[in-house]
Amino acid sequence: MKQSRFPFALLLFGYAFLYAPIAILVTYSFNESKLVTVWGGFSVRWYGELLHDAAFVDAARLSFEVAAISATLSLLLGTLAAVSLSRGQGCLTQSFFAFLLGVPLVLPDVVIGLALLLAFVAAADVVGWPAERGAVTIVIAHATIATAYVAVVVRARLGELDRSLEEAAQDLGARPLSVFLRITLPLLFPALLAGWLLAFTLSLDDVVVAQFVTGPGATTLPMEIFSSVRLGLSPKINALGTLLVAAASAAVWIAWRLSLRQK
Amino acid sequence: MSVFAVRSMAAAAALLFSLVPALAEEPVVNVYNWSDYVAKDTLERFTKETGIKVNYDVYDSNEVLDTKLMSGKSGYDVVFPSASPFFSQQVRAGAYQPLDKAKLPNAAGLEKMVMATLTKVDPGNEYGLPYMMAATGIGYNVDKVKAILQEAPTDSWKLLFSPEMLAKLKACGVSLLDAPTEVVPAMLLHQKLNPLSESSIDLEDAMKALGELRPNYRYIHSSKYINDLANGTICVAHGYVGDLVQARSRAREAKKKQNIAIFIPKEGAEVNIDVMAVPKDAKHPDNAHKFINFLLRPDVIGEITNQTGYANAVPASVKYVLYDIKSDPVIYPPAEVQNKLFTLQVPTKDYERSRARAWTKFRTAKK
Repeated sequence: MKQSRFPFALLLFGYAFLYAPIAILVTYSFNESKLVTVWGGFSVRWYGELLHDAAFVDAARLSFEVAAISATLSLLLGTLAAVSLSRGQGCLTQSFFAFLLGVPLVLPDVVIGLALLLAFVAAADVVGWPAERGAVTIVIAHATIATAYVAVVVRARLGELDRSLEEAAQDLGARPLSVFLRITLPLLFPALLAGWLLAFTLSLDDVVVAQFVTGPGATTLPMEIFSSVRLGLSPKINALGTLLVAAASAAVWIAWRLSLRQK
Repeated sequence: MSVFAVRSMAAAAALLFSLVPALAEEPVVNVYNWSDYVAKDTLERFTKETGIKVNYDVYDSNEVLDTKLMSGKSGYDVVFPSASPFFSQQVRAGAYQPLDKAKLPNAAGLEKMVMATLTKVDPGNEYGLPYMMAATGIGYNVDKVKAILQEAPTDSWKLLFSPEMLAKLKACGVSLLDAPTEVVPAMLLHQKLNPLSESSIDLEDAMKALGELRPNYRYIHSSKYINDLANGTICVAHGYVGDLVQARSRAREAKKKQNIAIFIPKEGAEVNIDVMAVPKDAKHPDNAHKFINFLLRPDVIGEITNQTGYANAVPASVKYVLYDIKSDPVIYPPAEVQNKLFTLQVPTKDYERSRARAWTKFRTAKK
């Protein structure tokens, strides 16, 4: 029987839907014209202007630092939470804690942002810390949210793992810590990588929560972009988007290669 | 080390710390403003002249600034809220500290008329000084409007609110701002009523007229018109002059050139003023005053006007402003137009509620 072409067309449509907007963004980043939607010839002038815009460069640096640190923090906390939740004895409190851990997944960013802001203000009143909000409070806020995501990803992977591998190691005399470090952790590696990347991306594109908890001297990239809309979008934003797409693709590609090697 | 030595060292340290704030603030000023809302070299020049480092952070809406101020300890020393309704509400809530005019000699150079306008939201000009301002106006596509209406009233709210005009202009697209605070006063002016009126009868009249016109507006939106006017998708747009000027310059650059003109209606219009103010709990109030005073210097604010395209309230800066900008009657309106510009007061809660309700009904009405 001849195979229908329909599924293939659907596949093409699906991918076009995902990638066409990005392709348009990349194309227009090489636009000579100042208008975001009118083609005026090929040029890389907006890349030059972007790199000379100190505000954007500083904001980008801060965003990447915050994303890297908060992703690492949430990877640590999320993994520990996932392991203790799925390796401990099953009981009611445990599922209650699992539920609590998942709450940030469904709460709107506005609620989390406001709650964290109020918490920081109250903490500054009571214990005198944080005296000033800024990069540190953004890191804490992002790590708080991303921990929930990392925990979900890692728990899913833990559920698929073959417990007998760990038990075998224990039988052969390995202590719990070395079982965890030499057996569990390597098996978890793809999930850890995925969790870290997820946390990194969440932090990089968050604007709502960051707006709430930021302070003097800490403007992240998304804030800078949204604020520049008031005086008119320039193709600089397209150039910036293209660079981000390139960076993200590189990261995903590396992650993919690493996970291939794992298999 | 003897106990005495430790004690005396601790005492010395305590003394030192207590002296530091008395001597001088840490040479930093934390500024919270819109992105690119100063000239490229403004901050650098300030640091060079005073040795004070500027942390320039940005927000993307007045609401964000409002949240920061209202939750307290924002950490910022100078902020730039819109006069109405944000600044006026924040003044009432006690979010700011009174400005020390002795530390702001350049404030004497501010235009009296603008200062008088601001007293409506800040009696006595105690808490804020004007930074940049722009009126609300109408932008239109000259060729398309002329083709439909030979004698279009391109100086009056009639272009936006007269039923006969609209019936004809409908075909090429008319847009309204999505802001009852802009549209209702404009409609009241068109009806020859007091734009500041808070009477429920006036509101009802205005909303009734608007309701009848509703099918003629292509959309009600506060930023979409910038691109649409520039591309020729719509031909009349109610908008903020700053945005309309953007649309006009974009239209000139586009390949399919559109001839866009802007006017401030002769009946009068609202003016939106961004204010400089110092939050109550600012840590570096002295530096904040120095920064505001620096921004009010004619050569400094003149250059800011050149780069942002917004008018400032320092008349002496005009000689530093580019000819194209200062000769533009929508950016620097002539005196007779300026006399008719106004800002809204803080409305009563009741009026605000009924206006919001009427507006929602109007917005969502079926075409």
